[in-house]
Amino acid sequence: MHIPDGFLSTPVWATLDAAAAPAVAYIARRAQRGFEEATVPLLGVLGAFVFAAQMINFPVGPGTTGHLVGGALLAVTLGPAAAGVVMTAILAIQALVFQDGGILALGANAINMAVLGVLAGYLPFRLWGGTGWRKFSIFAGGALSVVVSAVLALSELMLSGVRIPGSLLGVSLALFVVSAILEGAITLAVVEALERIQPKAVRQALPSRSPVLAVVSLAAVLLASVGFLFASAAPDGIQKLGQQSGISSQIRTLIHTPLAEYQAAFLQWGMLGKPAAALAGVALIYGACLLLGRAAARKRSI
Amino acid sequence: MHHVVVDQWSRGSSPVHRTDARAKLVALLVFLIALATAARALPLFAGALFLMLVAGLAWARIPVAGALARAALVLPFTAVFAVICWLAGDPARGVSLVLKSYLSALAVLLVVSTTPLPALLRGFGMTGVPRFLLEVGQFLYRYLFVISEEAQHMTKAAAARGASVRQWIGQGQRFRAAAGALAVLFARSYTRAEDVHQAMLARGFDGHIPMLAVSRFRGSDAVFAIAASLAPLALRLAAERLMP
Repeated sequence: MHIPDGFLSTPVWATLDAAAAPAVAYIARRAQRGFEEATVPLLGVLGAFVFAAQMINFPVGPGTTGHLVGGALLAVTLGPAAAGVVMTAILAIQALVFQDGGILALGANAINMAVLGVLAGYLPFRLWGGTGWRKFSIFAGGALSVVVSAVLALSELMLSGVRIPGSLLGVSLALFVVSAILEGAITLAVVEALERIQPKAVRQALPSRSPVLAVVSLAAVLLASVGFLFASAAPDGIQKLGQQSGISSQIRTLIHTPLAEYQAAFLQWGMLGKPAAALAGVALIYGACLLLGRAAARKRSI
Repeated sequence: MHHVVVDQWSRGSSPVHRTDARAKLVALLVFLIALATAARALPLFAGALFLMLVAGLAWARIPVAGALARAALVLPFTAVFAVICWLAGDPARGVSLVLKSYLSALAVLLVVSTTPLPALLRGFGMTGVPRFLLEVGQFLYRYLFVISEEAQHMTKAAAARGASVRQWIGQGQRFRAAAGALAVLFARSYTRAEDVHQAMLARGFDGHIPMLAVSRFRGSDAVFAIAASLAPLALRLAAERLMP
């Protein structure tokens, strides 16, 4: 989820840019110290690997495919600092060359995916990588990195005043969970395959020498959850403005009516209402993706 | 994988291409911030900026239609949120999201397609971005196409052996096969990086990528930076004056 320019309000992107600059400088210094040689070529080529990994499709249920995001895989193989540098470089190249993500929003994207996402992906491995929970820790790292990045991005959008209706919020959270499980499964499968062909490639979970990264990663997870609650509860000025001027509220009732009925129908189920609505939404989106994917695949094969 | 078309455009020759990367970066940042903070008279301001960018593309002799289509890559993501805003009863915000994200992407595209990436990253280096990060970015871009082609060869080879991820049966095995392919790609990339590093050491690499040409910031670059920075600001003032 790369945020383009124009989505974040000025206080949000400016704060995150200001936060990202020292954070990225810090991980760059750490990564430089962590390797004896070949750092620049190694991190660059592995960044290219993460790009290319998007071309290898993983089957997810009938007819659909997913691909690796990569933050947790890099954290487990290169260590969190180097993984953060690689992910930042990827985000910069994507923003510049592929029009994927904004320049002013680069700080926000770097914080979400390269700094906090990678650290959250490394946290379980750091905690349980040396114990019997090793497999689970790798899976959890992949899942956590995706959830933390996505939730942070969503919270930033909401803090910037992008109104997301409650039902859609449920749907998007459900989608995050699905893609998180997928990323965890892919990360674990790739790490296991990698250990078979190159046993030394995966870092042995080190006994925690410096508490800094562990604390920051824990903070990342906390920040994502607390920030999300805060953002979804914060009343935004834009909405009030819309209520004061009559026009937009009229449009709102016009558009809201069918959605409101849809929700009311579900609400009669009591507690099951929201999850059921979310599931229905996921099913709808799944169906749409399936159809679109089929159409695209057919076009390509001709 | 074909070389990105932006890379071809960036090797053209025009007054915009010859301008120093730093001058273009300064102008880009002013443009982006002026656009991001605009709230009043946005449609008028956006229209004026659009004309300015199109004029810039024409001046740089970049195919205008191609550039406009390429900047539209940002629209699918934006469209989703525009629809969400519309459903939430805030259509004005939806319009502003579309205008701002599209124009920002187009402005970035104008700068990137008139500056080769190494020069652009060097320009960023002068603004205080860690050199290490920029060098990683350079390497990433250089080997992007090499590794991507390797990945494509692997998927083609797998397809030739009858592996298709779109079948219903044997999903578990297919999943593991894809994971194995990625692991092989990772290991090959790792080895390639070490080989590349040794070849570089043999040619006198001392830890930093040397620059062949020292870029000098000329008077014309300063004029460009000032004029291109003032233009969006002036347009914004004018738009806000016209449509209070």
